[in-house]
Amino acid sequence: MTVNSHYHHTGSQLNEELVIIEAAKLNPERFGPLYDKYYKQIFNYVYQRMDCKDTAFDLTSQVFLKALSNIQNYQFKGVPFASWLYRIAHNELMQLFRHIKDKRSINADIGDLRFICEENEEPFFEDYIPAIKKLIAELNEDDLQLVEMRYFEKRPFKEIAELLNITETNAKVKMHRVIEKLRHEIKKLKI
Amino acid sequence: MQPKFNINRPKISDDEINRHKNFEQLVKQFKQQSIHKAKHDKSWWKSKKVRYTSVISGVTVICTISYFALFTKLNTNKSNEKIITQNKEVEGIEKTERIKGIKDTKNVKFINAPSTKIVIPYTSYKINNVKGGEINHPTSSKIKIPKNSFIDKSGKDIVGDVTIEYREFHDIGDVIVSGIPMDYDSAGIKRNFETAGMFDIKGTQNGEPIFIKSDKILKVDLASITDEKKFNQYFLDTVKKGWKYLKKDNFDTHQITNNQKKNISQSERSRKLLDENPKLSYIKNQIEVIIPKKIDSVKIVYTKKVETLPKAKEPFKPSKSSGRQTFQLDADKKEYPELAAFDNILFEIGLENKNYTKEMSDITWTDVKISDGPAKGKNYLLTLMYLKRTEKLIVYPVLNGKDLDKAQQNYQQKFKDYESLVEKRKADEEKLMAELKAKQLAYIVGIKIKQEEYDKEVSRLQIQMKLQQQSELAGEFNKISNTTKARRVFQISNFGIFNSDCPHQQPQGATVLPIFVNNTTTFFPDLIYVVEHNSKTVFTLSYENNYKFNYNPSNLYSMVIFRNNKLYICSKDAFKTTTNKDSNKFNVKELENNGDNLVDFKKALEI
Repeated sequence: MTVNSHYHHTGSQLNEELVIIEAAKLNPERFGPLYDKYYKQIFNYVYQRMDCKDTAFDLTSQVFLKALSNIQNYQFKGVPFASWLYRIAHNELMQLFRHIKDKRSINADIGDLRFICEENEEPFFEDYIPAIKKLIAELNEDDLQLVEMRYFEKRPFKEIAELLNITETNAKVKMHRVIEKLRHEIKKLKI
Repeated sequence: MQPKFNINRPKISDDEINRHKNFEQLVKQFKQQSIHKAKHDKSWWKSKKVRYTSVISGVTVICTISYFALFTKLNTNKSNEKIITQNKEVEGIEKTERIKGIKDTKNVKFINAPSTKIVIPYTSYKINNVKGGEINHPTSSKIKIPKNSFIDKSGKDIVGDVTIEYREFHDIGDVIVSGIPMDYDSAGIKRNFETAGMFDIKGTQNGEPIFIKSDKILKVDLASITDEKKFNQYFLDTVKKGWKYLKKDNFDTHQITNNQKKNISQSERSRKLLDENPKLSYIKNQIEVIIPKKIDSVKIVYTKKVETLPKAKEPFKPSKSSGRQTFQLDADKKEYPELAAFDNILFEIGLENKNYTKEMSDITWTDVKISDGPAKGKNYLLTLMYLKRTEKLIVYPVLNGKDLDKAQQNYQQKFKDYESLVEKRKADEEKLMAELKAKQLAYIVGIKIKQEEYDKEVSRLQIQMKLQQQSELAGEFNKISNTTKARRVFQISNFGIFNSDCPHQQPQGATVLPIFVNNTTTFFPDLIYVVEHNSKTVFTLSYENNYKFNYNPSNLYSMVIFRNNKLYICSKDAFKTTTNKDSNKFNVKELENNGDNLVDFKKALEI
């Protein structure tokens, strides 16, 4: 499985980032390097979950504005700053979807769907696509979030756990339950 | 409502994403939002806690200011030092700004590079841990790494390549931009270091830090711009936040000349870089070898094509006998096809035969041979033999009577064919030559395009190299003003910052509480460095002391001031002018080009 490596930081990278954060707390103009570093990641995260490109760009700007406004409250917890940004982005998305439900969309490649079947040790046929799409679309928001992060965005469990503010084991257990649910439904497709 | 599901939606390009990035707009929005929030949020004043806190803070501030005012005055009276009076009007403004600045100074890091624009970058080297090796830094410094010197954080031997990152600092300019503190506590007395060279070395493998094995020593021969012997070696302990004395400096002035000779000049290096660039080599090869070869080969191809065009052979023109002696011979028509079309051909003796006598026609020759004459196709060589006598005569084929008429008719027809064939060949040849010229022209145009591409690439590389040189200049030895005079030998068993230093006493004499003026506007600096040129030391001014400092009026000083990532310099002259006038207003100048160039910075600092 290809793992999204943008998120991972070494100790020295975390330290460097922390220096910038501390500088940005004193002077908002020092926030620039963080904005440059994470803009694309946050945009992709947002756009992955919606259809409208313009709304995605607006929401990304909103995420960074919120981050800058609240940077005084940011506390380093040994994880990359991205984790905090993703959480803001998630909250912003949820707020948007609460008001305008039809903004939510799921975006995946056929390869991702094939991967889900293979992970469930089930063969993948193109005929299955509509049914798998339906299965995924019917998942609740939390389960969908897990599937998106794991299978569509190829994030490791450690990262998923940090982004969802849960433990890595908890992330794995939750993912296992979703997989079981999907496996059960995929098996039905063959009958 | 179920969300929409898209399969294989086209990705958005990085360019498009980057086009929407607008950090300035974000900051603007943030500022507007903050102003709006501040204007409309008055709830804080309703809180009793805030009210009481404000009153208490106000009283505290008044008391503190009064206390400091008195304290400063007392100190002034006690000291014999010359204290320059502050301009009270300016002080008012400054104080407010200084209070604002307290928060900033509390969070200052131990190693705090003052500028994000001028940095001394690391140079990375790859070394195979199993083999070890020697690093030759462009400044002529050398790092000798024994085999299997590195371990990872779990203590295991590193396998494969490691990255050694290395940078050097040689003078006050380098020291200032590095942000490395140069003060040294010697038995409770604060001193400042004069450096003979400092280096920062670290190692990683795949981004993870590595460590030097306890039984291994790395030898660093640091190029130094001074051969003075007064220096000691120190290591910067970033945990205890201070310099740790290692030993008396060990240095070597030998081999420097040779090593300097070995140093490749910048222009040579640039040329080498250009020569070794694969893209340039490819284009150069295209221009100098491949395309000329193509031009030559197309010429060969077309020459061959021209050669293979059917060649027209002029038909043999029958001639009438002029009445001279003739011979009738049966010439082999296969051997002489030009004669095949004629019947009853005769061979007339040419006038050029001086050896011909009439008696020759009376002799019955035992053998007669005919072969090509000097004018092939027009005359023939007749060899007559009788016993031991051999005569050679040049003869011309002639015809008479009806045979001549028939041959002439035949000749007319053949000549026409010949002429049309000649015309056709000429036309074909011209066509082929035109094709050849067009192809050669296309290749020449190709060379021109490649040449333009080459020039463009060269200028791109030159710009890149210029930038690199600039960055190297920032990181490496300043070759413009400095020369290697000695090599200081360090034996290190851990990574970090090492220095060859001589501690100097902090300046004594007059005291000044500085105010900085740029184009008649006073401003409050983020960071101030005072450079004492006589001792080649630099010290930072502390906010806690209101940036008050001592100086020796007989020495030369300049100051480097950072404010909002901008760099200001108070030159030696400006410093002298201010102190000579017993003033405390130091005129500063902002460094041109946004202060992003180490060379300009050093030039402005007059070091």
